[in-house]
Amino acid sequence: MISAIYNFALTTGANRVVRGARIEHVCGDPSLGPEKDHAYGMRIVTTALEALTTRVASPTLFDPLAPGPAREAVHAS
Amino acid sequence: MSQPLRVVHFVNQFFAGIGGEDQAHVGVSVRDGVVGPGRALQQALGADAQVVATIVCGDNFMSERPDEALAEIGSALSRLRPDALVAGPAFGSGRYGLACAHVCRRAQQQGIPAATAMHPENPGATSFRREVVILPTGESAVSMQSDLARVARMALRLARKEELGPAELEGHLPQGKRRSHDRGRPGWQRALDMLSAKLAGRPFTTEVPYNAPEQVRPAPPLADLTRATIAMVTTGGLVRKGNPERQSAANAVRYHRHAVTSLESLTPEEWEAFHAGYFNHIVNKNPNYILPLSFLRELETDGRVGRVHEHIYALPGVSTPVATARELGRAIAEDLKHAGVDGALLVAT
Repeated sequence: MISAIYNFALTTGANRVVRGARIEHVCGDPSLGPEKDHAYGMRIVTTALEALTTRVASPTLFDPLAPGPAREAVHAS
Repeated sequence: MSQPLRVVHFVNQFFAGIGGEDQAHVGVSVRDGVVGPGRALQQALGADAQVVATIVCGDNFMSERPDEALAEIGSALSRLRPDALVAGPAFGSGRYGLACAHVCRRAQQQGIPAATAMHPENPGATSFRREVVILPTGESAVSMQSDLARVARMALRLARKEELGPAELEGHLPQGKRRSHDRGRPGWQRALDMLSAKLAGRPFTTEVPYNAPEQVRPAPPLADLTRATIAMVTTGGLVRKGNPERQSAANAVRYHRHAVTSLESLTPEEWEAFHAGYFNHIVNKNPNYILPLSFLRELETDGRVGRVHEHIYALPGVSTPVATARELGRAIAEDLKHAGVDGALLVAT
């Protein structure tokens, strides 16, 4: 699931959560200008695809903005 | 009051002894006195009330032609003039549970108090617990006797026009009603009582129950994206320009499926958002923000993704009850599975 309110997705039990940009523009950011907006959107989508290829055991955040391995286990109990 | 109270019982074709699924089409009929579980209901009611009639309707008849079924039941109730109606118990049976809830609601509309019983996860309970008095049961009919005893007690109280106390004391499913009430001790004391009970490992009853979300086992990872078919789903209320399919802006009761095989991208000339929960104007300039078709096409062309699924799925994800959302999600997932989709991206606004 790609969502800007990713904490809500994690605490309600979505297993693979990708941090989106904003509620009004989840997959990109028009304020960055066309080129950077496209790069950001592509980073979000490729992070989501990477999430699909990653084994998870519980709700896990995949952050397109985080450097390095973009995931962090979140224990929503 | 020397006259016993008059109770009408509603059951489906199965409990009326007509038959199972093969008889689920049967229409509404009214029998004198008790039928099937009505005998145990009468026993539980004792001398205070009499089951004067039993209304029977097939599960499919009720779910396929509800207006017709409920109109017939409504006129039977006007004729019978009971002091209370009892429906079910329906246990875990979904169509029967919905039928019981509908019949109770109809009775209430005609000024007749009504009670039913079913499993708390029955769609009849998840959809109507606020409007109808529903006592919780297990999933199967093994507890029929004790469940009927509880419904009988409740029906007697309702028939005598007694006011119900809080659901946690009366035993029915909470209806979300708030009433001013003096608990005797102020909130801070009750909170401290609960805290000290928790710290000491003693049992306590919360005043703010937490509904834990459903745990879903994570799907195994995809082995090879370059051979995978990927679908896209959005709760951002994506519609064709002008909303020709008349999608609602909130409280979705259905999802919308659109073919995108010939599209490289979602253009603002052809698509827009119709969603009451966020400002749609940015998405209306670039609908790919809520359904990233343009990005996935690029990755498909580069060979990084096997194939983009031929359909996209959309609904407005706002103000939707969890039970409805779960059913819509299940239906979309089934459709994707059936089409051989390997993975899906769900964009939530």
